[in-house]
Amino acid sequence: MYPPARPNRRALLRGALGMGTAAALSACGGGSTTALTSGDVTLALWTHDPGYEAFFEKGTPEADRLTDFRYHLKVTRAGASDVVTKLLAQAVAGRGTPDLVGFEIGSFPRMLRGDIAERLLYDLTDDIAAVPGLKDDLLPARTAPFSEDGRVYALDSDTPMVVYFYRDDLFERYDLPKEAVTWEEFAELGARVHQDHGASMCVVSTVGSDAGQVVQSFQMLLYQRGGAFFDADQNLVLDSPEAEEVLRFLCDGLRSGFVIDVSDYYGAAMQTALKQGRVIGLPMAIWYKNYGLVPNVPEQKGKWRVKALPRFAGGGAVTAAAGGTGFGVIKDKANTRAAKEFLFNTWLTHEGQVRRFTETGYLPTRRSVYDDPRLSAARDDFCGGQRLFPLYRDLLPQVPPFHQSPDQSILYDVLAGNLLRAYHGDLSPRQALKQTAADFGDQAGR
Amino acid sequence: MTTALAGQNPSTRDRAGETDTARRRKQSWAPYLFISPFYLLYVLFMLVPVVVSLWLSLTEWVGLGTPHWVGLRNYRLLATDISFHRALGNTAVFVLVAVCVVVPLALLIAQALNTRGLRVRDLWRTAYFVPVVVSPILVALIFGLVFDRQFGLANSVLRALFGTGGVDWLGDPSLAKVSIALVMLWRWTGYLTVFFLAGLQNVPRELYESASLDGAGRLRTFTNVTLPALKPVTAFVVVTSFIGAAQIFEEPYLLTGGGPAESTLSVTMFIYRAAFQRQQFGYAAAAAVVLFVVVFGLSQLVNRLLGIGRAS
Repeated sequence: MYPPARPNRRALLRGALGMGTAAALSACGGGSTTALTSGDVTLALWTHDPGYEAFFEKGTPEADRLTDFRYHLKVTRAGASDVVTKLLAQAVAGRGTPDLVGFEIGSFPRMLRGDIAERLLYDLTDDIAAVPGLKDDLLPARTAPFSEDGRVYALDSDTPMVVYFYRDDLFERYDLPKEAVTWEEFAELGARVHQDHGASMCVVSTVGSDAGQVVQSFQMLLYQRGGAFFDADQNLVLDSPEAEEVLRFLCDGLRSGFVIDVSDYYGAAMQTALKQGRVIGLPMAIWYKNYGLVPNVPEQKGKWRVKALPRFAGGGAVTAAAGGTGFGVIKDKANTRAAKEFLFNTWLTHEGQVRRFTETGYLPTRRSVYDDPRLSAARDDFCGGQRLFPLYRDLLPQVPPFHQSPDQSILYDVLAGNLLRAYHGDLSPRQALKQTAADFGDQAGR
Repeated sequence: MTTALAGQNPSTRDRAGETDTARRRKQSWAPYLFISPFYLLYVLFMLVPVVVSLWLSLTEWVGLGTPHWVGLRNYRLLATDISFHRALGNTAVFVLVAVCVVVPLALLIAQALNTRGLRVRDLWRTAYFVPVVVSPILVALIFGLVFDRQFGLANSVLRALFGTGGVDWLGDPSLAKVSIALVMLWRWTGYLTVFFLAGLQNVPRELYESASLDGAGRLRTFTNVTLPALKPVTAFVVVTSFIGAAQIFEEPYLLTGGGPAESTLSVTMFIYRAAFQRQQFGYAAAAAVVLFVVVFGLSQLVNRLLGIGRAS
């Protein structure tokens, strides 16, 4: 019997190449796609905010109790925009996508481009409808930002009402009213305060590197007044009398000193202005207390208060909404059902909605939860023990809807530039809005 | 009657010939085998991306699903896109700053650092090179504070010296470009100085001695000896700076985000924005192709003008 022939070098290389190719193809195949219906499951959660991570971790036992799954979370944190970029990159690669994703509201429009949302995200609409009373209980104002063609693709983390934060001690010192007045009256008082004390009572952002921040400071008052960026059909409706009125109001305020422009709501400029008492009040979303005031001026604990926005003489509401994060489920994955049930049983339960406010400061998105006495009784230490929730409950009916468009980033880019031109006096408010509409049409029309 | 060559068997001679042929064939493949890694990487990371970009530029694609063929539509839209025109103009400004300001300044600094008798030479050289290795994010943070309109260092100095401040360095469209240019100066000069310094150190000392013997002053020595000797280095630096500035991204992205009002938007930022903020990958690819063509064409022109690659 002859001994087995030794393989030559070429054969060995060919075999190695084949094995490598097989291994690579196996790796590209990703995990199992058989849907899990019960048992142990590890959910990959991507978010930009550690607060959500803590919230969901704490909600895991409740989800275990209410479902057939035993949950474990594997959390990845990245910048808000990076979350979407990474998600899309992994989706293109066909593997490595998470199960649950937190879409910061300003990044979600990227999912509305083409059929990305429909292709990638689980449609929650039917599941919402399947829970008795849930559809009517959810605030339309907060499902709108994460919906397309009537389909809901993510559930919002908050009802981020816009309120007026003010220094109670300085308002008393400067003899400023704490009760409701119109913005126009407020501006007259603010001009006097600026002249006498060098302080301002309203803020706009002029940070050139963050179009979203520049736009947001205008957006809050615009939506309060009754204007909007897009309608429900994703049509631009910015060029409106309300928008011109609000922009003129801000431009006039900048000239009188009632309004101050800062380069960053969260950076050194705002911190310095707050510490020096140059900003004694500002309209901002409720989450700004935790992300802007507390980190920047912790020593001013007990001095700040919250109240409804002044109303414009021409009409509108006394609140608006700004910000938010919607959590969506990636479809067609083994953990899709588990992720959906986890989301519903941590995010949408009554207890989960209550925990939102008590643990994170975010407001419920279900109307029925606003009657919970535990929320009404809570007092805020930073705001001198003020009970904030009753104020928010009173404002709830006035929260306007916020519709988004896949072309929102285009609008923000062109609008930010023209807002700055208007603030600097290079354009009139009307010119700025006309130019924005024209620029938007030019860029979005392609 | 014929006889075989003495000592040579025909079959042996044939086998020897075959062996020689095989050896020559093997030898002829060897050079290609040794250079193949470079070409393999070149194809994978240069040619394939270029071809894919070209194809993608003829499509409309949101990043998922199948790209839709649209022909030259993306290029037609670019031709009328005000933002793209703005980005081209901004990039041209940055290129001019790099080539006409940063390069000459780097040369002067190198000349100073190469001066005989300079004390603590290494300290000066290190000081100029440090900006090159500092994280761009840290640079943006520092200069963001420096240029802040209300509380920045720049305005504080202006108030202290001239009693006036409040310059909106980053919020004014014109000044924002100036601010970016200043950051470019700070970050890039040291890097280019290194090349000039190396070139200066290779200039034969005899040339300076001859110039000195001929009575040439410092200025004449610089123009007639130093500059000609540095021509190859200068050419390389100019082309490198040109290409780098044409693809500038970090400074405007981190410091001004392309704003205000797109006054610092570069072409590279335009491409990034179209692809990763607006999910318009086909459009972004078209802009990238245009950028490649423009940069390649102009850099080749600069190469010819400066005689790069031409045998002396």
